[in-house]
Amino acid sequence: MSAKAYWLTNATLETGYQLQHGVISGTQTDTFHIQIENGKIKEILPAKVSITSDLPKYDAKQYLMLPSFRDMHIHLDKTYYGGKWKAPTIPENGIWTRLQEEEKLIPELQSQAADRAKKLIDLLLSAGTTHIRSHCNVGPIEGLHNLETLLCASEDYQDKAFVEIVAFPQQGMLRSNAASLIRDALRNGAGYVGGVDPASIDGDVEKSLQTVMELAVEGNAKIDIHLHEAGQLGIFTMKRLAALTEEAGWQGRVTLSHAFALADIHGNELDEMAEILAQQGISIASSVSLSKTIPIPFLHQKGVEVFLGDDSIIDHWSPFGKGDSLEKTGLLAERFGLSDERSLGQTLQYITGGITPLGKDGDQLWPKPGDAANFVLADASCSAEAVARRAQRKAVFYQGKQVTGNLHP
Amino acid sequence: MQTSQWIKNVKIEKNYKEEDGYITGTETELTHLLIKNGKIVQFISADQVITDNIPQINAKGLLALPSFTEKHCHLDKTLLGDEWRPVIPTKNIFERFEVEKKVLPTLATTTRERAEKLLNIYSHAGVTKVRTHVDLYPEVGLKNLDEVKRALHSFENRLASEIVAFPQHGLLRSDSKHLVKEALRQGASYVGGVDPANVDGDIEASLQTMIELAVEAGAGIDLHLHDADHLGTFTMKRLAELTMEAGLQGKVFISHAFGLGDVSLNQAEELAEILADAGVGIISSVPNNRKFPPLELLKNKGVETAVGCDNIFDVWSPFGNGDILERLGQLAEIYRWVDQPSLTQSLGYIAGGITTLTKDGKKSWPKVGDEANIVFIKASCSAEAVARRSERVATMFKGNIAAGEL
Repeated sequence: MSAKAYWLTNATLETGYQLQHGVISGTQTDTFHIQIENGKIKEILPAKVSITSDLPKYDAKQYLMLPSFRDMHIHLDKTYYGGKWKAPTIPENGIWTRLQEEEKLIPELQSQAADRAKKLIDLLLSAGTTHIRSHCNVGPIEGLHNLETLLCASEDYQDKAFVEIVAFPQQGMLRSNAASLIRDALRNGAGYVGGVDPASIDGDVEKSLQTVMELAVEGNAKIDIHLHEAGQLGIFTMKRLAALTEEAGWQGRVTLSHAFALADIHGNELDEMAEILAQQGISIASSVSLSKTIPIPFLHQKGVEVFLGDDSIIDHWSPFGKGDSLEKTGLLAERFGLSDERSLGQTLQYITGGITPLGKDGDQLWPKPGDAANFVLADASCSAEAVARRAQRKAVFYQGKQVTGNLHP
Repeated sequence: MQTSQWIKNVKIEKNYKEEDGYITGTETELTHLLIKNGKIVQFISADQVITDNIPQINAKGLLALPSFTEKHCHLDKTLLGDEWRPVIPTKNIFERFEVEKKVLPTLATTTRERAEKLLNIYSHAGVTKVRTHVDLYPEVGLKNLDEVKRALHSFENRLASEIVAFPQHGLLRSDSKHLVKEALRQGASYVGGVDPANVDGDIEASLQTMIELAVEAGAGIDLHLHDADHLGTFTMKRLAELTMEAGLQGKVFISHAFGLGDVSLNQAEELAEILADAGVGIISSVPNNRKFPPLELLKNKGVETAVGCDNIFDVWSPFGNGDILERLGQLAEIYRWVDQPSLTQSLGYIAGGITTLTKDGKKSWPKVGDEANIVFIKASCSAEAVARRSERVATMFKGNIAAGEL
């Protein structure tokens, strides 16, 4: 599909909730014709109106239109995906086992890395993801080699997906003395300063966080750091990061990935921590770990932005990832008992950058003229069904272009 | 129906493969399997030439795994095949009973049609044995049993089945003893039950009634036990005692058994020994929103353990898809079984205890004389199949292709 302007005909959009005895008993939908021009939604007409223009028409066949998905935490640069099966070891020394393994593994993976990154992006695209935030190892083992690989991949896919890259000192910002390489990575196309466990890995919470912040300010970059630290250690680290965020005026530009410590605190303490994160605009990227799940709906309710990612698809850390954001948010819904129509539909926001077709009160929010034409056509009657039943994706569009599926004029 | 058949070029697991000083995968070999009257009767290496005239099919290098068992489902509850229907929030389980009672008779599809839809999904997912609970309560009588029996009958060449006569609204609470008794006469082979404390309100009378019904009919027992922590473990201990007294060892199962997940590991271990002695098995649906029994500990103590899907898109839950291999993958993920031996051994939870390799990595399946119940799957080894939820190409039941094709 190369046309800059066309009509997507007969697309199903959600228009409101059905009520029965005051309870939401379903979702109302209708069929629409949608004009797309230069990657944006230009006009939305009820399907009963006939289109008079000569623009090409693509029949959406009544499939449900959903905002396309975002995978906000993945490692595209060190996956086994597309290669042969290889089981991870038992991590006898936890994260240290994995770090040690990378010393040998990362150089071995480099010859196939470009190919595998592309295969993995293809997998994400087929599931409806058009926005990918990938961490990319930067440090003494790989130098900027992995970054170059991902930059090439992201350029190859620029018409299909938005790929943003976190310069990630996997072996520790301080521990592996990676700051100057991270600086280079930011100059060369990485948009985020990464980091990992300022206490456990770097051994100096303050200096590690300060270094991250300095690099971000100097490079005018955002921040996304891995924080696995448990309990009060993790909470202390979050609070320090929040303070530094405020000092630097970096509100809205900082993400904590995993933030497992949020699963260890409760009551007033959790309340307070969530408020601090919300005030500083610190977002959370979660892979919805089944062995330790942070209270995602609560954080959202407190105004903290939470988004989901697959993390490992298959690599030496974990063999389980499937690359399907819709499955991920379905798992989140199941984990937190979000089973009713509204709750299910609203969980979509965790994988769409906050966009849902309907608001909480059933008001129609998306799509609107002017919105980017990034969407998925799903075989479902409504968002709730799509999430709960992991609906089949029939086609995926990015900036108005069909990237998977076979709609023809 | 073929009575003899070669299946050529089947990949089977031989032993673990080590690289870099650890087990990274599994060595496999290609073989031709000879199937006769539903059993595996001979293996020869794939480089040998078959000289007889017995018909052949070609597995083209697909991995063979022992087929799967779905140990806990409700064929009469699913909405599969019907339209999307939101779950209506309820305050408690009793309100949910009422919703279910009202909704199911209004559907455009029949119980049998929906059950068949789910059975077809199971069959394609690699399942050749299903244990289904069937609701019995005064308003529905034996109607669901009848419909589920018809569905299972139409699948009898594709999978084996057993039915639990399940008084969903409480054996005592809904006064359903006579229905259970009648269901056992009409094809059910297990007495069901639910929460002797919180639903029936009388642990002792509820358990005694189940035991009595089972003994009278020569049936087994499969009790839904959501009752939590010590309430649950107390009930389990009492059921174990009654099982021993009645001589029902090996025929009694507790589904969910949440209490075992709530108490300390020491307490769970102590109870595991009691359950093992009494021959009481534990079945878990691996919920991701609640603690569940420590399955590995139970297995190591000699308790029969299995995993089932439970709810699949019904008035209770909008989730679930009938892929028991996905359910097992979720169990592995929760317990962080990431290494090759752990993943390989996990298959036992959905394959009736069968694994392709022993704990020491010795070949243990398939053997000559085994039933030809096989899943043909696109994977290099069972560990990969579990972690990656690999594609099932065909399912064989008693030597015949039950789903997919070779």
